[in-house]
Amino acid sequence: MIELREAKKFYRSGGEKVPVLRGVNLQIGQGEYVAIMGKSGSGKSTLLNLLGTLDVLDGGEYELAGQAVHKMGKGKRAALRNKEIGFVFQNFQLIPNLSVYQNVLLPLTYGRKKWVGKKAKVLNMLEEVGLSNKKSQKPSRLSGGEKQRVAIARALINEPSLILADEPTGSLDEGTTESVLQLIDRVHKNGATVVMITHDIEVAKRAERTLLLQNGMLREMANEAAYGI
Amino acid sequence: MKLLTGFKLAWFGLWANRLRVLFAMMGVVIGMFAVIVLISISIGVKDTLLKQMGGLGAEQILVIPGRVLDTASGQKDFLSGLTSVPSTLTYDDAKAVEKVENVRSVTPHLETVTTVRMGEGKDVKRLQSVLVGSTDQYSRVQHAELVEGRFFTKEEQKEKARVIVLGSNIHDGLLGKESVPQENSAPVKATPEPWWKRIFSSLTAQMVVAEKKEASLVGKEVVINDMKYKVIGVLAPNATLGASTDNNVIMPIETALQETDMKNLNKMIVEAKSTSVIDQVDSDVFAAIKENHKEIDFSVVKQEQMLKALDKVTTILQVMLVGITVTALLISGTGIMNVMVMSVRERTREIGIRKALGATTFEVMVQFFFETLLLCLLGGVIGIGLGYVFIELWNNNIFIFSLVLPLWGVKLALYSSLAVGTLFGIYPALKAARMNPSKALRFE
Repeated sequence: MIELREAKKFYRSGGEKVPVLRGVNLQIGQGEYVAIMGKSGSGKSTLLNLLGTLDVLDGGEYELAGQAVHKMGKGKRAALRNKEIGFVFQNFQLIPNLSVYQNVLLPLTYGRKKWVGKKAKVLNMLEEVGLSNKKSQKPSRLSGGEKQRVAIARALINEPSLILADEPTGSLDEGTTESVLQLIDRVHKNGATVVMITHDIEVAKRAERTLLLQNGMLREMANEAAYGI
Repeated sequence: MKLLTGFKLAWFGLWANRLRVLFAMMGVVIGMFAVIVLISISIGVKDTLLKQMGGLGAEQILVIPGRVLDTASGQKDFLSGLTSVPSTLTYDDAKAVEKVENVRSVTPHLETVTTVRMGEGKDVKRLQSVLVGSTDQYSRVQHAELVEGRFFTKEEQKEKARVIVLGSNIHDGLLGKESVPQENSAPVKATPEPWWKRIFSSLTAQMVVAEKKEASLVGKEVVINDMKYKVIGVLAPNATLGASTDNNVIMPIETALQETDMKNLNKMIVEAKSTSVIDQVDSDVFAAIKENHKEIDFSVVKQEQMLKALDKVTTILQVMLVGITVTALLISGTGIMNVMVMSVRERTREIGIRKALGATTFEVMVQFFFETLLLCLLGGVIGIGLGYVFIELWNNNIFIFSLVLPLWGVKLALYSSLAVGTLFGIYPALKAARMNPSKALRFE
């Protein structure tokens, strides 16, 4: 599903190139549930942006669903993003002026695939995440857990093969965290590949595999205690 | 994504930011309002001037007191070359011109200010008016239409009959319907309708089926200089810049010469039998009048010369119009661009989200471009509507001159708002489209 080879990414700071990823290699199979951990500033979000095709590599190669992303232009990457990837962000990233229904509908609007009965599809999805009674409300009227469920509904509406979750429970309380994680578990069980960034070991334990990003390199985490997380 | 979808997204974008849209639109609304009003003012002024100066037919010649000096190019300089001298033109000059070969008619024009009185005791009404002495040709030559009654005949003119035709203001004033200049009497109480009612009436004028029968003075008598005159007709309202017949009282010239102190003509309109002899008639008329005058203290002017002078005025108006329109468009355009750039900045995160969900550079560009375009179009339509309301208000309340809104003016304003949207919508749209999604998502 995902294959990163010698992936490099730099940021410029005061005219100097600061390496964030120093040659990351990563393979994730179809239907896997992977958690990526690391300290703040270790480059977790940068890695997720690269996997989500929101950013481009400065070196190395990236293949997603058999397609060479590193060779793609902006247009193709946007199309791939729309078709194959669903994002769940820590701060929900809902458009405040659009209703719950309109937010969830958005990926279908940009999609090249012609869906029959878009409205019914969105309403079904809202039903699935338990928000069908809030479809006309603006995000500002929702609780944190509800916002994240809207974001998950939006991420799933195009039936993507990859879900990228960046600290999806970072802004939620304990009770809400569990319901959101259960929702992600359900998505994974339905066959989607899930890559989740988290600080929380308990959250990471739900994944089949946990990776640690440290000093710009990615390693498998055999024993979390050994890395001092 | 189809363009229609882009349009829909733009519409949603505008609707979602209604308050900002309202403020952003103000520039275009004011700009297009200014364009509409200025077009209607310039066309209204031009029409009025044309009516006054170019109202002559191609076969007509105007004889006026004083000299119109020639410019270096040999044309009559009506703008700055018109000398002001007391009139020495007389009715005898008009009679002399009548004898000129190929002259079809001569319409002399005597003019003074007088007071028209009607009624007795407490009900007496006195109105200042312009007393005009002319011939039976007056209404035809001056394009003064009658709303009721008739104009005096050649026979009445010869008989020095005491008959008069009233201008609409004088007629209404004597009936107590409108406030016009009064003399030595309590003001006539006018009861104009409220402005909104007049606008509504003017907009729905065509829907009015039954028309109320108004009172009339035709057949009644009024007093001028202690002499009784019979009202035989009323002229249609004809409010124009400085040349209205609304405050006129017209009587046969023979009667005016006998009953008033007026001796000298203000002007005379000479009609040639055809345009082919106009040049010959022009010089013959000049020669005929000169016979009676020691000095050349009069001018003989053809329509062609009038129109050439008018061209200069209308050119100035057009240049002014173009200048003001371009300025209004630039101001509203830069205003809208500024607001849209701010909007793009404020919505950076939204742009990031849209891109993360699969929107392409082109799709984001189309959305923001259409937002500006729709904003300008909407502002344009509102501005045009407000301009139309202003013109209706003006035409129903102010009678100096009428504002005229031609269809091309509406089209110009509409196309201008689209042009502004297109021109000034590109930069904000490109700014939005070029955003890096990962950076946009992190924007605080």
